Amino acid sequence: MEPGRAVASGVPLPPGGGGGVEASRGTAGAATMTKVVVAVDASEESLHALSWALDHVVRHHPGASLVVVHAQHPADHFVYPVAAHGMAYIPPTAVESMKKTQDENTRKVVARALEVCAQRQVTAKAAVVEGDPKEAICQAVEDMHADLLVLGSRGLGMIKRALLGSVSDYLAHHASCPVLIVKPPKAHAKGTGSST
Amino acid sequence: MAEEAGASAAPVGGDGKMTMVVGVDESEHSYYALQWTLLHFFSPGQVQLYRLVVVTAKPTAASAVGLAGPGAADVLPMVEADLKRSSLRVIGKAKELCAQVSDAVFEVVEGDARNVLCEAVERHHAEMLVVGNHGYGAIKRAVLGSVSDYCTHHAHCTVMIVKKPKHKH
Repeated sequence: MEPGRAVASGVPLPPGGGGGVEASRGTAGAATMTKVVVAVDASEESLHALSWALDHVVRHHPGASLVVVHAQHPADHFVYPVAAHGMAYIPPTAVESMKKTQDENTRKVVARALEVCAQRQVTAKAAVVEGDPKEAICQAVEDMHADLLVLGSRGLGMIKRALLGSVSDYLAHHASCPVLIVKPPKAHAKGTGSST
Repeated sequence: MAEEAGASAAPVGGDGKMTMVVGVDESEHSYYALQWTLLHFFSPGQVQLYRLVVVTAKPTAASAVGLAGPGAADVLPMVEADLKRSSLRVIGKAKELCAQVSDAVFEVVEGDARNVLCEAVERHHAEMLVVGNHGYGAIKRAVLGSVSDYCTHHAHCTVMIVKKPKHKH
């Protein structure tokens, strides 16, 4: 099980304690949320989660710094599970192009996320982590000393979409900070109080 | 129990605030969650942008006792009184913690915590639900059930799960 390695794109992650004074120590005066981390991927749900967090949380904590984190599956596998039954064998020659495609996707995801932030006049940093998304994001949150982690509820893990929200479940229980789980907009529109 | 007057609450309070429901029970974990929320969203220096609703669920005596023997009828009133006392204690402590919040609402609602919290979200048209969690492992969660897991999947709003850290940084 390889641990997630945090690879910041262009911005060095503070080695330790760079996130600032821990608000949870209850210092006198208004507590500030110093660092909000939002996990994003290519899905609409995670982008919606980012917008929600910007409008409902970051807006009210002007001093907070925002980091968007994208977890990239490691591209050094030669075998990929396909459609729940088969395994596709990727010949070594194709690994390079797979990695290039992945990097391109990552760039797009990060660019889109940063644009959403810019639209609301929020400067955000981006971080890309590699490895299993749940563990990589969990590790990144700890390394960054985040005060809050924001997730879309079914937005993470393309292959794991079948396992509804397994990534958000994992992070809700293992992340080292409070976790905010944002539902997709359709859920909000369910006006008639459905039972359970 | 303490229902809000006027069943059809307006989507946003008259003052344009959004609503946040915080679920509490007797555990230290939920008080921690409440305090974390107060620290970050309701501290005195900040502009208050949310309306705070603190909800605790009071289990019904029948569900708490769970036995159907000849002695059950005698035990139920005592259990009921005890549960009521316990919920009032919980709300009392929550009120103390929330002293600096100007328009906080406190409710004790009868029923199972899972349903009570989701239903409170609907009733108040809340934008956010805050719960702590007991830090159970996967097996305990499967056996005992997890309110935070349930709410994450069933509440019709954003859910924030605040864990009591095992160790401070």
